[in-house]
Amino acid sequence: MSPLNDDKDSITSSFYLTKQTSFRIAMKQRIGVYICHCGGNISDYVDVEQLSKLIANEDNVVISKDVMFACSDSTQKDMVQDINDQKLDAIVVASCTPKLHTHTFRNVAIRAGLNPYNYTQVNVREQCSWAHSDKPMDATIKAYGLIRAGINRVKYSEALENIEITAQKAVGVIGAGISGMRAAVDLARMGNHVYLIEKEANVGGRVAESGKLFMTGENGKDVIDRLYKRIKEIPEITVFTNANLDKVSGSIGDFTLEVSVKDEALKLNVGAVLVTTGFDFYQPKEGEYGYKLSDNVITLQQFNKLIETSNDKLVYNGNAIKSVAYIYCVGSRQSKGENKYCSRQCCSAAIHSSLNVHEKFSGVKAFHLYRDIRTYGKQELLYTESSRKGDIYIKYEEKEPPAVEVKNNKTVITVKDYLTYKKELSFDVDLVVLVTGMVPRSDSNDISSKLKIPTGSDRFFNEIHPKLKPVETVIKGVYIGGTCQGPKNITESVQSSLAAASKINTILRKGTLELEPIVARVNAETCLWCEKCAAVCEYDAIKPIESNGKMIAQVNTSTCVGCGICGPVCPSNSIEIVQFTDNEIESMIDGFMEKAEINTKQDSQENEISSGKQIKLNGFPKIWREIASALDDKTLTIPQLSEQLGVESNVLTWHLMTMNRYGVVEPAGLDEDEAYYMYKLKK
Amino acid sequence: MSHINPDFADDITKFGAKDFNLCFNCGNCTAVCSLSTNDATFPREMIRYSTLGLEDEIKSSLKPWLCYYCGECSSDCPRQANPGELMMSLRRWLTATYDWTGLSGLLYKHMSVYIGGMIALLAAVVGFIYYSGLSKEVVMHYGHLFEMFAIAGVFAVILLPNIIRMWYFTVIKPKVKAPIKVYFKALSELFVHMFTQKRFLGCEDTKENRTRWLLHFILVLSYLSLLFTTVFLDWFSTSSTFVIWLGYVESAAIFIITTVFMSMRVRKTDAMHKHSQPSDWFFVIWLFLMGITSFAVRLLIDLNLINTLFWVFTIHFTVLVQWALIIVPFGKWTHFLYRSFAMYFERIIGLNNQLKK
Repeated sequence: MSPLNDDKDSITSSFYLTKQTSFRIAMKQRIGVYICHCGGNISDYVDVEQLSKLIANEDNVVISKDVMFACSDSTQKDMVQDINDQKLDAIVVASCTPKLHTHTFRNVAIRAGLNPYNYTQVNVREQCSWAHSDKPMDATIKAYGLIRAGINRVKYSEALENIEITAQKAVGVIGAGISGMRAAVDLARMGNHVYLIEKEANVGGRVAESGKLFMTGENGKDVIDRLYKRIKEIPEITVFTNANLDKVSGSIGDFTLEVSVKDEALKLNVGAVLVTTGFDFYQPKEGEYGYKLSDNVITLQQFNKLIETSNDKLVYNGNAIKSVAYIYCVGSRQSKGENKYCSRQCCSAAIHSSLNVHEKFSGVKAFHLYRDIRTYGKQELLYTESSRKGDIYIKYEEKEPPAVEVKNNKTVITVKDYLTYKKELSFDVDLVVLVTGMVPRSDSNDISSKLKIPTGSDRFFNEIHPKLKPVETVIKGVYIGGTCQGPKNITESVQSSLAAASKINTILRKGTLELEPIVARVNAETCLWCEKCAAVCEYDAIKPIESNGKMIAQVNTSTCVGCGICGPVCPSNSIEIVQFTDNEIESMIDGFMEKAEINTKQDSQENEISSGKQIKLNGFPKIWREIASALDDKTLTIPQLSEQLGVESNVLTWHLMTMNRYGVVEPAGLDEDEAYYMYKLKK
Repeated sequence: MSHINPDFADDITKFGAKDFNLCFNCGNCTAVCSLSTNDATFPREMIRYSTLGLEDEIKSSLKPWLCYYCGECSSDCPRQANPGELMMSLRRWLTATYDWTGLSGLLYKHMSVYIGGMIALLAAVVGFIYYSGLSKEVVMHYGHLFEMFAIAGVFAVILLPNIIRMWYFTVIKPKVKAPIKVYFKALSELFVHMFTQKRFLGCEDTKENRTRWLLHFILVLSYLSLLFTTVFLDWFSTSSTFVIWLGYVESAAIFIITTVFMSMRVRKTDAMHKHSQPSDWFFVIWLFLMGITSFAVRLLIDLNLINTLFWVFTIHFTVLVQWALIIVPFGKWTHFLYRSFAMYFERIIGLNNQLKK
């Protein structure tokens, strides 16, 4: 049973009232405030104890405590106890960033039977003690303001319930390359229906076009054939080829994909969408390393076809090929061009092709003109093998690229080799192979506009976070896998699409979805449907609806992300974001701006040091004076100070750095063993 | 502008180099080498030239001779590209390149030619001794004459022209125009290095290196003085007790030290002795045979047994002829000259540069 609905009705009614008569919301009357020392991280600078005494006098605050670690188990238990004993209706925790512990304290509230949204976190560590370690008193004043703002905000906090929506157990996979195909298999096996939508006449994409693959030595076509055979045996997967994605509507759990297959128009209802649309190979411009100017300049893809179709002898245009120059980073890592990124797989692909040549034909010399060899992981074996086979590696720099010229029917390469002290080398070859990188597909704009997936500066589709949310997009329910996201090799492409498949399954498997209720909300009485909010909404979350005989805006709570862009454009102030209402924001400002009367003279006595010097460390942490006394006429290392003061060395390091920054101490060279820096007082 | 020759790698491999193409130019060899200088090109530059097959650059370089193969670079190479062995192979390649007859290259690359030459000389010596009808005294006298004429002939016809070629490749062609006084000023370098291997002392100061230097030093001195003792003091015919004992000590030193060197090659004790080529074996074995057979011949003379055991002299004479006509002009013996002259030329180039400034 959810504990979230204690005064839902009063909130709804009060919301409408606030707009006209204001402040008639059920204000929280019994608030608990906890101010955290963070083991000194906060309390060394912010006068936590004084603050907790001052806060105790605030209106509606029932409990005000300073605690060593608010996030510790024992403090959490105390909070639950307080909420129950004192019948608290809201809590404020002043500690670190909400990114760390919002959910920790929301759970404290839930355990105590309080609505988790009647909780506010105030960041007095990153925003006060860490940012203003040089001015502890100012840090304390700022913390005071922020905590008061937090208290004012929580007074207006509403008890909210998570939004629950039904989810279709079906997934649309856009693009039937190896990533999409492999993900489709897993999604189907996890009990979802999969619509695999492919633009081309055949499935398999780029992998079906590649020849021998590294590690296993299999042919790309064979791998695809095997996978496709498996797909055809799974009834839950419906494959559409020659299909075009026309339109996407709906939101997470309930998307409608309008797809046309030849002349037939289909509407597919899915709970989530996986985009695996892949990439295009970079097409060299005319004249780029002699491309199209000389017949003997081709791309790696063309060369791979040549290797595959040649037997016994490597022959191109009727000429036997005895020497090949591979030019790397064509269309990648352009510091001034469009593609600044490294395409990741091309070094390995080129070296693999060179090894394939050695295996199939004898006596072909290979020259690799590279900028850096990036055969990461197991692909390093390829590089070693190729060096062993006598391939010659020549390093050029972007600012001095190799020149390809045709002289007397010979293709001549001139290059400055950075490994040979920029010596200018020249040699002729029978064939020049341009190792081209990956670029976003030419139709990726079309896909991204239909699904509203943001793209990065590299024009590939963007994930939310490269490490923590690597396959999720900001559009809920739309996931990305494979190379539509950025250059990847086959292994990595399949890994990412399978990661997306399992993410999709976690949201669809229950059949229902829970979303945070921090979304836009419309005042039905004042809204006049001027469409301004709908026009600015980037998520298509606002649609008109008839209510009491007039048109008003309606927010689709499953699509809305609570970004707040609609609020400022509303001429009648009829739309706002839950938890960020005008009442809350305005009262926060009032709280912050209220005059702070803090006793700043508590540390008034100057610290007299034995030698008679006076060190003015008023308003600095107490430990600074202890360090200063210890360093009086002495130079000490951090371990020595640590022993003398009984303070941990990492804490001392932190303080010494700051003291150095503010000219209280300075380094005095290394100690005798040259193991530690010594510090002394700055004269 | 330099022209790449990818076939050079195959060529240099025949001189003993292997795996050097694995080099990815990290510079560890340069970092660990005690002889590398501030421009940080030694020995890495040579490896790069070999990979690209820049023959002109290698031909005009003295650097291969500046390396004493302590083996640090090979043991510290993260790619096992064996830079030390490449430098050794380049010395062999340079020896072949300096040799105007082209025989050096042939002997380095084809062991069959080497063995064929050795057998032909064996047949000639045995034929001369047993079918010419000359008396044993006359044969021994001719042996002494041969020694003198061989030294003069080989030097005049093969070694001197080769050193001039070396000078042309490394000094004249790179357009080092040093005045004559620089040639005189640098001359001391030639003799110091010829007799002492002074530069080797600049390598990492380890017990192995010190021992190797000392053994090599004694061997060079013993070899040169034995040459002097037999040719000019006529060791085999002299009646001077001092000269007789001197010859014994010198020849004994040669066969004892070469025995140590051979055992190091068999046991592969260090990087330098891990990759023995036929030319290395011929050199050390024949030097050993030279020492032990001359010792034995003089001993038999002293015991008055030389006439009954004349075959011992036959062996000695055969070894001497093979040594003087194959190993000295075309084999590893030449490193004695080229290395010293490399120091000399390097000094000339250095002094000339100073002069220009």
